[in-house]
Order: sequence, then structure tokens, then C-alpha cells
Amino acid sequence: MDRRDFIKLTAITGTSATLASCGNPEHQLIRFVPDDDVVPGVAEWKPSVCPMCAAGCGVSVRVMDADVETTRNGQAGVVKMAVAKKLEGNAKDPISQGGLCARGQASIQVTYHPDRLTQPLKRAGARGSGEFTPITWDEAIAELTAQLDTLAAAKDQKSLAFLTRPHRGRRTALAAELLKGYGAEPPIAHELFADEVLRRANGISFGHEQLPTIDLARSRFAISFGADFLGTWNSPVAQSTAYAAMRQGRPGVRGAFVQVESRMSLTGASADEWVPVTPGTEGVLALGLAHVILAGKHPADAGRAGAAIDGWSAGLPDYAPAKVAQITGVPAKTIERIARSLVEMQPSVAIAGGAALAHTNGLFHALAVNALNALLGSVERPGGVFFTPGHVKSEVRSLKSEILSSAKVLLLDDANPVFDAPKAWKVREALAAIPFIASFGSFVDDTSVHADLILPDHSFLEAWVDSAPESGSIEAVSTAAGPAMKPLYQTRAMADVLIEVAGKLKAPVALPWKTAEEVAKAVGSPQSQSPAPSPKVPAKFVEPVFDGEASQYPFHFLPYASLTFGDGSSAHLPWLQEMPDPLTSAMWSSWVEINPRTAERLQLAQGDLVDISSSQGTLRAPVMIFPGIAPDIVAMPVGQGHELFTRYASGRGVNPIAILAAATDSETGALAWAATRVKIARAGDGDGRLIMFAGEMHEHPHEHETR
Amino acid sequence: MPHRWGMAVDLDTCTGCGACVTACHAENNIPTVGPEQAARGRAMHWLRVERYWEGEFPDVRLKFRPVMCQQCDAAPCEPVCPTYASHHTAEGLNAQVYNRCIGTRYCANACPYNVRFFEFFNPQWPKPLHLQLNPDVSVREVGVMEKCTFCVQRINAASIDAKAEKRELKDGDIKPACVQSCSARAMVFGDLNDPESEVSRLSRSPRGGKLLEDLGTLPKVTYLERQTQV
Repeated sequence: MDRRDFIKLTAITGTSATLASCGNPEHQLIRFVPDDDVVPGVAEWKPSVCPMCAAGCGVSVRVMDADVETTRNGQAGVVKMAVAKKLEGNAKDPISQGGLCARGQASIQVTYHPDRLTQPLKRAGARGSGEFTPITWDEAIAELTAQLDTLAAAKDQKSLAFLTRPHRGRRTALAAELLKGYGAEPPIAHELFADEVLRRANGISFGHEQLPTIDLARSRFAISFGADFLGTWNSPVAQSTAYAAMRQGRPGVRGAFVQVESRMSLTGASADEWVPVTPGTEGVLALGLAHVILAGKHPADAGRAGAAIDGWSAGLPDYAPAKVAQITGVPAKTIERIARSLVEMQPSVAIAGGAALAHTNGLFHALAVNALNALLGSVERPGGVFFTPGHVKSEVRSLKSEILSSAKVLLLDDANPVFDAPKAWKVREALAAIPFIASFGSFVDDTSVHADLILPDHSFLEAWVDSAPESGSIEAVSTAAGPAMKPLYQTRAMADVLIEVAGKLKAPVALPWKTAEEVAKAVGSPQSQSPAPSPKVPAKFVEPVFDGEASQYPFHFLPYASLTFGDGSSAHLPWLQEMPDPLTSAMWSSWVEINPRTAERLQLAQGDLVDISSSQGTLRAPVMIFPGIAPDIVAMPVGQGHELFTRYASGRGVNPIAILAAATDSETGALAWAATRVKIARAGDGDGRLIMFAGEMHEHPHEHETR
Repeated sequence: MPHRWGMAVDLDTCTGCGACVTACHAENNIPTVGPEQAARGRAMHWLRVERYWEGEFPDVRLKFRPVMCQQCDAAPCEPVCPTYASHHTAEGLNAQVYNRCIGTRYCANACPYNVRFFEFFNPQWPKPLHLQLNPDVSVREVGVMEKCTFCVQRINAASIDAKAEKRELKDGDIKPACVQSCSARAMVFGDLNDPESEVSRLSRSPRGGKLLEDLGTLPKVTYLERQTQV
């Protein structure tokens, strides 16, 4: 018997008399015994996976002992347990390679958030009132099981819907198994910035329906069409590491890059050349570059190169620099110069993403950039574009406006479409018509407040996690990691709840896994890859369609992914709210970025309030004078404006998605979130709602104003 | 020879992403002050990302620069402190002894880099956010001035480990939280007294320069300027 067992035993025997009436005394007392793996003051490092975006960075969690006030086995008290203290990138992980972004650093606050849900809840007040009463797990699981049994009894299994975020790995695979066994349609996945257009284009061009891995580390020249690859797009940590290697990782070689976009992103700030372009014409510029490259070759070479891509053997006569300059607003000289760099500074690579593909003609741009890569010979070549092998595509459907209206039971796994889907999709109305909604989320947010039952999941640090990133590494990556710490509360892993419910149904659903651990550890079998077809030429350029007449709505409206909040899903973390946005130094705020000359014309000063109106509605927000934006564009970061999302984000700022039109890419049906036009009108002087870290530090701003 | 800790920041690889800012909060128990106090200029960021806009649309450029305490050899913050709370250590750090600090804020006034922050309130971490606190770093109370320490707790931990293992500290043994988090590896920390260390090598770069060098503060942070091309 070791010391620990001895203490346990004496603790139990010594006090069991007093607790004899409370059931099993060992359960009552277990909280007095410290975890086996805790040595006071000594840190341990445990592996986990960052859940903040689909990049799937491997992290190391610093775990140390702490006194935790919690409830164990129905008893409240202080437990000495090993808890997470800090997250760092895991140096052995091929994605993070030891680095971690701001959102990843802050993800520890998901676990320790003061407004995190601690136990199952049942709706008490009216739908959406936010009034819930605590229930036990037995009651919660019985309730969910009964709802599914009722549907099954009515032979209405198809009315069960599961709404999640895309690319959540094994938990979605489990849900898909359950739905299949039960007789329902596959899970629905929704995310605002979903890159569906690019996946489709990569499937058409290269036979890989997944996001690309850009081998920047070995590139000498890169051109990015709208992809904020150092900030918010695809796999930013892996891409930043590769970017640094491109710049300074090779003696005597400094890779260069050009960013094409109409509002300077974090990535655009690092570019050697920033090229503003008329929104919705990015692909034309790519074809213009291809035209120059083909024209510059010896006719025989040009014929060979052009013939490799269907329909290019004539050298793209419609895309001569002068004409492309007219359409895109990029000077012909610039086009010729960049085209020369693409040829001379080999290996070179082209990247497409973000707002460039969020137009009604989004697929055209993606296909054009893919074809440019093929012309450059940059596909699956060092310094070019790779596709991470072994990628398993999740079996999911996309959220569309009508998809929820047929549901009778909705299971909600962290997706928040009330916040991040356009109003015209009528998500709120659809939810109101669904008889029963259960949420697995850890927080009450804009969507889960409509739930009838909440079955809070563990935080990622308390659960089995897994990741098989679709991009970010040239080699296949698959990670599964156990809990870094014990659960703080009466929460349960969603996987365990689904497995238990599946087994308790009147017609039980047989699942291949018995625990959340088995689910996480089961590595999916890679799908067979179809051979890459020859890259298709994009269909002829079709003008983008914008919602709102230019005469009435003179500005393009660009909502963009926030560096700190992404699509808004991390707006509840205080570190991220107070982190100054690198391009503006704004904190705790919403703002509208306006070109200095436009602001001058409209007599707007920094912080003044403006009303931004689209055909869908009006928002009021403070002005941010922003030099890196075209005069006819206004931009807003997405992330603030939650109706309900904990004490730190509720009612803070405004939500630009609320005024987006429901325009879609004409080929894929993906939301074209950059296709709305707006007008702006001065609404008043600043009232202090724009909070910035930079600038004057008035200790008592109001005194200064009245003086 | 004692160590002389310094840092080099390569602005050619720094993307301005701000991971270092949050990493610093996580490591050093820096409180968040909330929107009302942030609006009054009381937000605390020992490390910030500065931005410099140049030109006009469409020929507009933006450069970032992460700025933390420059750990000056001739630090203006030190001689003005009436209680020697702000002082120079044998290893060249501008240390702040919180227990001595009486909150005159003379040091913040004297610092040309604006990197010293005053605790206007007792910090609050609504439970259980207090569990994120790093036990290796003291939590500062109201009335105390605080600043970047180059993560002195990590310097000390690595030094103690090396001593216990009866060896010298190796270059790269110590990574402050900002350096650790940087996925672009734009920040390098090490011993300036070791001519072979990475930070010494980078500090000798022809691209290297110091912030507000003309003031004669002798900073120990070297910025390697961004290169241009195309």
C-alpha cells in the first residue's frame, strides 16, 4: 500500500461513521484526496488540440495543482486538483510547430469562463427568455431519449436534425453514425466563413475537395487573392511559420508576395505590394496574369503550356492587360510586372480565399486562380500548392434557408446561425417552429437560448479531443489526446451522451464506439482520391451581382473575419475583447472602416456615429478612419453584436451579418457575404463607444470635453 | 561573466498577429480592465503591436512593431523612483519591486516608450477565471506600477534547472511567453554577453536598430527593419 492509498483508507474509515447515512462514503470522501498526478508547484505538460478554428493546432497544456471550488458527487467543496494554467503550441505538432495564435492562447478562458454552464438545464420560461432550471443528467437523457422515441414512433425519423460547425472531426462522425442508424439525414454544418467555394473549385480543378496547403516556405513569389492567410484564413499558425521561412529562412533568398484585396487585411500589411482590386473581379486579374505569361512565352512553349489547360491554347485573347485593367482597376503595367515576377521568381504560387470568393461569381475566381497555378506548374510541387493526404470529408449538409423548417427535433452543437446567418434565411423563425431543441453548448448564446434542453459538453481541456486537419501540412496529420484535466463541473462529453441515448432508445442504434475516448481514437479511413483532372477553365467571366442599386447604395459592404473573434465564436473571452486589434488598436468595440478621403467628403471624424443601411436593415456604429481601404468600400469586423453571449459579449457592438443580403454564389449556393451594397449617413458625434488603445490617454475624458 | 538579457525582433517576419500580446497576458497575470476603464486609457498591455501607416490609397503601406519594455541600460525610469522599486539588476533587467512601489508613477512619466502600466484597481478575476493565474508570477494590487519583465520567472526557472543539472544555460533555454508563442519566430531572446547567441548575431544585423535610439536610453531590444522588394 502506498502513501496515497493509506490516506484514502484512513480518511474513509475515520469519518465513515458520520457519513454512514449519505450512501457510499468513498464517493463522499474522494474529493479530499488529491489527484495522483499532482505535485504541488510542479508543472506537467499535457497534449491537446485547440478548438478555436478548423486548423486543429496541437497544443501543450501546462497543468498545475490548484484549489478548485466545485461539486463532486453532489457535494460542494474545495478540491485540490490539477488544472490547466497555460496553452502553448506543441513543438511536435506539424501544424502549430510550437506556435499558437491569440485565439488559441485565449482558449483556456473557455474552460474558466464565469458564465460557463455547469450542469444540465431545462427551459423554465418562454422560448428564448433565457430562463432555465437545473435538472439531473438522468432526467436530461430521459427527456432527449423520449423525444427521439416519439419521433420514431410516428415514423418521422427524418425530422431529426443535427446542426454543428464544419470540420469538427470525430464528434461529427459519431453524430453522422447516430443519424444514419436512427434513419435521419446527415448532420447540417454551418459557419459563416466556410470556404465552400474554394473546396468545390479544388475538387473541380485538382480532384481534391479540400483546402490547399501552401508551401510558402519554399516559394520565392506568392500572390494572394483575398486570402488573409496570416490572420484568419485556413491554417494561420502553420502559414505564418511558413511565411517567416519564406522571408528569412533561406540564406540569400527572400521570398516576396503580393496581396490583392480591396481592404487591407493583416496579411495585406505584410505584403511587398498591396494591390487593391474592384470587388468581384479578382479572377479576371488572375486570367490577365495568365494572358501575359502565355504571351511572353515562345509560341511553341505557349501552345504547350496553354494546351495543358482546357481552352487556353489560344492564349486567353479576351484577357489582355488593357482590358483587364479596365475591369479590375489594376493598372496594366502592374499586371505585366506581377506576371513577370510569377515567371522569373520560381517557384511561385497563387492563393485564393476570403472575400475574393464571397461573390455571386465566387467559383469563377477560385477556378481562375487554380488554373493560374496549373500554368505556373505550382500544383503538388515544392513551393506550390499541396493537398494534405488522407483527408476524410465529413458527411454533412450545408445550412440553407429552408433546411431547418422541416425539423421537429433539433440537436445543436455549438453552431450559432441566429448570429451568423443572414436575416433572410429566417433561422430565428425556423427555430421558433421546431417543437424541441436540445443544445450541447457550454454557453447560452444567440441560438442556444432557444433550446428546451441544454446538455453542456465538457470543455476541450476536460475531454478527449481529436483532429485530422484538412490542410496546413504536406504530410497527413491525425491527433487524438486525452483530457488535460478533470471536469470542473457536472458536464458530460457530447459523445458519451449521444452513445448513451443511442443505447436507450426503444429501437436502439448500434454505434461502433462505446465511449468518447473510442470515438476520438478511431481514425477515419481515407477516401480514395480520384486522379486529378486537367484543370478546367472557368466559365466565361460573369459580372458579379450586388444586392442594392449602386445609385441608392453607393458603397460595397465588406464584413471580414475578426482576428480575435473569427466569426464571433470567441467574442466571449475577455482577453480577446481587450486585445487591441493590430490594424486599428480598437478594443471592446464595433467600428466601420472608411477611407480618409471618403470620410472627409462626408465630414466624418474618427469615432463619429454613422448609420449603415442595406436593403436588409440599418446598423449604427462608430467610424474608424482607415487608410488601407478603397474609397467606395466600407468594412466591418464580424464578431460583436451578440444579443446574448455571456457577460463579456452580450449587447456589445453591432453585428454586420444582420444587414447582409442572402446573395449566393451562383454555382455552389454558398453565401456570398461580400455581395451587399450599403449607404452611409452621419448619425451624430462620437459618444465614446469606439475604444482604442492607441492615441491620447485622457485620464478623465469628460473633463477634457467640458473644458 | 554575468548574463545580459536582450531581445531581437525581426520586423520582416513579424506579421503583427498579436499572439504575443495574449500570450503575455496569459503568462504574467495581467488583468483585463473592461470597456469603461479601457476607454479611460487604463488597459494594460505589457506588450503591444504598434502600427505605422504610410502613403495614401492606393499606394498605402502598413508596418507593425511589437513594443515591450526595452530594458534600457540607461533607463529613464530608474533614477526617478524614490523607493528604488524600479532598479537595474546584475543581469541588465529593469526590474520592478512591487512591494517597494508606492505608486508615484514617476517612472511611467519618464519612460519614453509608454510601456509601464499602473494598477488603478485591485484586479478582478470572476471565478473561476482565477484558475488561469500563473502561480510563478505575483498578482499586483492597486497602486502599483508594473511592466514587462522579460518573463523573469522563466529566466529564473531555467537558471535553477541548469544549476541543479550542474550545467551552463544554453542559448534557447529561455523563451519568454511572447517569444514562445510567435509562430513566425520573429522574436528571439538570449544573452547579449554571449557573442555566439542567436540574439547577439541578430543584434549585429545591418538591418538592426533601436527604438528612439537618439534618446540615449541604450535599449536591449533590437528591431530588424522590414525589407522591401518588387
